[in-house]
Amino acid sequence: MHIYAFGSVCRGDIDSSSDIDLLAIVNGFDHRFDPQLYSIYSRRRIGEIWAEGNPFAWHLSIESRLIFSSDGSDILSSMGQPNRYTACRQDCEKFRNLFLEAQSSIREDGRTMTFDLSTTFLAIRNFATCFSLGRLETPVFSRNAALLLSERSLPISAAAYSVFERARILCTRGYGPGVSKDEAHMAMGFLSTIEKWMNGLLLEICRDDI
Amino acid sequence: MTYEFNDRMTAQRILLRVINKRAWPEEDLLGLSSKAIERWVAANRIDSKSPLVNLVSDASSKLFFLANKSQDQISEQYQMVKAELIELCGDIEHELDTLGQPVP
Repeated sequence: MHIYAFGSVCRGDIDSSSDIDLLAIVNGFDHRFDPQLYSIYSRRRIGEIWAEGNPFAWHLSIESRLIFSSDGSDILSSMGQPNRYTACRQDCEKFRNLFLEAQSSIREDGRTMTFDLSTTFLAIRNFATCFSLGRLETPVFSRNAALLLSERSLPISAAAYSVFERARILCTRGYGPGVSKDEAHMAMGFLSTIEKWMNGLLLEICRDDI
Repeated sequence: MTYEFNDRMTAQRILLRVINKRAWPEEDLLGLSSKAIERWVAANRIDSKSPLVNLVSDASSKLFFLANKSQDQISEQYQMVKAELIELCGDIEHELDTLGQPVP
């Protein structure tokens, strides 16, 4: 059994809303680990994501620290760098689809408004991380990756961005003031900007692929 | 074959729509994490030991099970949990029907 911390706590990029991301690498089912607190991976699956050049493998490779090892080994360090990341286009398309589903849901049914705003935040963040990993010199794994892409950063207001981010925290960690209808409406005014931003970056990826 | 990331999000949305069909007095259920469920239970003063809360918590556990990458080799178990999740969605709908609408 191996336990690692990864993400913001390893970057020193923390604020009052930061949580601690934990990874458990186990052999088979281990009931001691709550999947709501840990990302739980088998050693075999870790090997697979390293071979795939998966973004999570890159994230762990660059931003993780060993906390506990039952056999004294540091599995992740011993694996070296993951393979080259080649699924940038597919992953960005996947997260654009996630965003498009949230966008149509939020427009057709208000019962999942906060969840759809939260999903939009997740799609934005993961899209930006995958784009940076596939196309930029330095990958950005921060939860604010979409704002850290220099001239390619997401062009929405700080107020709208904070509504999406707050919705994410509400849906996952269950705290913070609820999102009002006015706030949701204001943030929704940027949905087409987000779609254009994703489409523009995807076009750039497609051009590079040709 | 794992239950893909986007599929899990869609499953969450479907469950939330079912649960939030009911007009909750204070706040809708915002997500299916245990913390979001705790918030919903406290805000609406729902009995935390009620069958409804048990069903919703069970659905939450199953969704997180599907995200667990330590067991993706047990594909039969995955299929079973996916089927159970669909069944739970029906059970939650039935439980909500029996509760009726809350007194405002």
